[in-house]
Amino acid sequence: MNETNLIRTFCDAAEAVGAEILRPAGSEQALGMIRELATGPVALPAFPSGERLGLAAGLAGLGIELLTGDLRAGAAAAALGITGVNFALAATGTLVLESTPEPIRLASTLPERHVALLDPKKIIPDLVAATPLLRQFHQQQPQNYLAYITGPSRTADIERVLTIGVHGPKELYILLLEGLSDDPLEM
Amino acid sequence: MKTRTKQYKQRVDAALATPKLQQALHQFGDAYLLAREKAFEGFDFEQLRADVAQMKDCVLVDRQQLQEQFIANAEAAGARVFLAKTAEDANRYIADLVRERGVRLVVKSKSMASEEIHLNRAIEKTGAKALETDLGEWIIQLAGQRPSHMVMPAIHMFKEEVAELFSKQTGREEPAEIEHLVQVAREQLRQGYLEADMGISGANLAIAETGGIALVTNEGNARLATTLPKIHVALVGIEKLVPTLEDAARVLQVLPRNATGQQLTSYVSWIRGAVPCDGKAKELHIVLLDNGRGALAESDKCRDALRCIKCGACANVCPVYQSVGGHVFGHIYIGAIGIILTAFYHGLDKAAELVRACIGCRACVSVCPSRIDLEGIILHLRETLGDEEGVGAAKSLVFRKVLRNRALFHTLLRTAAKLQKPVTRGERTIRHLPLFFNSLTEWRSLPAIADKPLRDTFAAIPQQIGKPQYTVAFFAGCLNDFVYPEMGESLVKVLNRLGVRVTFPKKQNCCGVPALYSGDRETATELARQNVEALLAGSPDFIVTTCPTCTMALQRDFVDQLKDNPAWAARAEELSAKTIDVARLIHQYLDAGDVLGEVAEKVTYHDSCHLKRGAGVWQEPRALLEQSGRELVEMAHADRCCGFGGSYSFSSHPEIARRILDDKLHDIEQSGATCVAMDCPGCLLQIAGGLDNRRSKVRARHTIELLAESVGKG
Repeated sequence: MNETNLIRTFCDAAEAVGAEILRPAGSEQALGMIRELATGPVALPAFPSGERLGLAAGLAGLGIELLTGDLRAGAAAAALGITGVNFALAATGTLVLESTPEPIRLASTLPERHVALLDPKKIIPDLVAATPLLRQFHQQQPQNYLAYITGPSRTADIERVLTIGVHGPKELYILLLEGLSDDPLEM
Repeated sequence: MKTRTKQYKQRVDAALATPKLQQALHQFGDAYLLAREKAFEGFDFEQLRADVAQMKDCVLVDRQQLQEQFIANAEAAGARVFLAKTAEDANRYIADLVRERGVRLVVKSKSMASEEIHLNRAIEKTGAKALETDLGEWIIQLAGQRPSHMVMPAIHMFKEEVAELFSKQTGREEPAEIEHLVQVAREQLRQGYLEADMGISGANLAIAETGGIALVTNEGNARLATTLPKIHVALVGIEKLVPTLEDAARVLQVLPRNATGQQLTSYVSWIRGAVPCDGKAKELHIVLLDNGRGALAESDKCRDALRCIKCGACANVCPVYQSVGGHVFGHIYIGAIGIILTAFYHGLDKAAELVRACIGCRACVSVCPSRIDLEGIILHLRETLGDEEGVGAAKSLVFRKVLRNRALFHTLLRTAAKLQKPVTRGERTIRHLPLFFNSLTEWRSLPAIADKPLRDTFAAIPQQIGKPQYTVAFFAGCLNDFVYPEMGESLVKVLNRLGVRVTFPKKQNCCGVPALYSGDRETATELARQNVEALLAGSPDFIVTTCPTCTMALQRDFVDQLKDNPAWAARAEELSAKTIDVARLIHQYLDAGDVLGEVAEKVTYHDSCHLKRGAGVWQEPRALLEQSGRELVEMAHADRCCGFGGSYSFSSHPEIARRILDDKLHDIEQSGATCVAMDCPGCLLQIAGGLDNRRSKVRARHTIELLAESVGKG
């Protein structure tokens, strides 16, 4: 599959499971989109592509209240959590987040909205293609918490009716932004 | 009757009296099949499940080494691993930990293993509180119940009941709106994660290569429960071991698709070792649970059950589950796999009633993502039960003294044909039986035993044939022989026209399935010998059958029963190779095109369980019916069991059989056909009886009879 097809397949699959794809033209528009979504404080853990993008300064400059550092105390009160994405799986619309640092997990589980920044160059075909990368993470670090995220949190436990947003995020926004990172091992 | 059996029957009756539950489970079953089909689009399910089965079989062989590898890697990553031989060992380890660490609140994500060992009870005995956070698990925890489905624990409950439970919890009136109730759960449980001192999860996978576990979930509670509390305990059945990350991916490709029809669940969490938690390293304990799994691995006949990846599909498609639900058709684990796991994890006694409640339709086998012969294993457990508890005094006597003695068996059937005269009133159908036998005919009229069985009339059937293309021996089976002899005449008529001579070896006896399915293997084996002898005697080209259950006995069971007997094994193989269902014989070896005349009729086809899922025959009869000029219309759920199941519908579980028949009759009538065709005299007895009882205008016939009608016009 070529890159265009991978992106198209990924977007279709992610939207099919209830994620929303946003395609800002550049970083400025991306910040604007996040501001629109930030109805309250924003949990912003540290991750390399976000730091290169100058997310913290950019969002603060838009007057957004940021929660950073140790998010254990604050993330539950955040309206929105922002993370990067290591790489994504086209076939299932899945985001892969190397979430060993605790703040990445907190920002992507506790708030009702999760905004994930993905470089479209880092979309690979599927689960099977992800395995060698998964192995590299395991070889790099002594401990891991790796998360596959496919759409927002969901349940069908009451009368088998699909309901979005039980314990995890109710809304998942995937911001496709070129030039973030081309290294799947980096977030 | 045993008290246990009596109590079980009461529970069956109670479940059958709640149509709302049945309706919900039927709707779920339909929606599941559609979602599953869509999820597997573009994938070769047979290949995927063959891969999973093969991988799991390797794990079984190498389990000791893989377990050591897993433990070494997990410990190197900072986990503490405890091997729990029994449920008590696991409970004690976790309860001790709760006490030693001064834990007051435990948040749990869904774990069937923790249900299996009743972990919550053990935790609460320490004075700590165990809080289930999976929505379904929380609902049943509040209700004080146990799961009725492995994937959807509260599938048996309705939103009104949930609203009532939640209202008690919040102290407010919570409206019975699903979205609102989900929000209530979110709010109520959120504080739990933040306050808990310990999180307990299960695991879907334990990867030897990494020493890590993987959790496959949708709600996000497992992520919270394994992130916020400072201690994480993962309770992992040893059957969850896989060698590598590639093997884990193999399971992930089929598990969500087969469980819920999802391409992938919302979350897959790969956790290895003591990950950071509040600035320190998390305290991770992995409890590897045996609790009967080792014994299961040692059982030649049952060990394939360890391939199970806990998708729950065997329940989703099970007509018995859909009729009575998981609280009745399950112990802790439910459905077909639940029966087997219950026998090994909780004891054969706990599984005994469930083993007998399986109707043997093999619907579960066809969807199992690990290719487990669930029905085969359940049958084996029935034999074991037969050895331990006996097959019932009366039944046992019939099997040993009567079935094994062909002359006596057939004399008794002939006598029965005469004795039934007062109730048949000279008709071929019994609509009412007197006294307590009445329950047998109140929902299904029964065919009378024929005046003369086929074996007595066969020689008089004229065989108009010059030089035969083939000579076949006809194995009629008891129903065809004694109840539906005219079916044999139809068979001769059709096959003669196609250049085939038919013989009827008179020494053939019952195929032995009634004995085998009741757990009397010895009688079944004796019958196998008698039939091998009788059927091979004239060296026929084929042994042709009209009953798929008999077909499976001749093709599969005899081989298995006689494989260790040097004098018989090769002959059983020969019989197996020559045995063929009549529809396949005609379709594959004979050219019926010129012989079948046009019959204008709208016909629908019922797939018999053992024909489609046993012998693999389902296209052939349809093709023949169309060749005969009939218009074929498909009914919904064409391959769903009709509820016959031999003695299942007569003696062991007539009330469930009746419920399953109702579904089938509904589908037949909805199809708009005026005739329903099938290739099994057992299904015919059930379906024709049900249609007659309803005074339906739809006629039910064996395909061979319809072809005979057509030959007459050709």
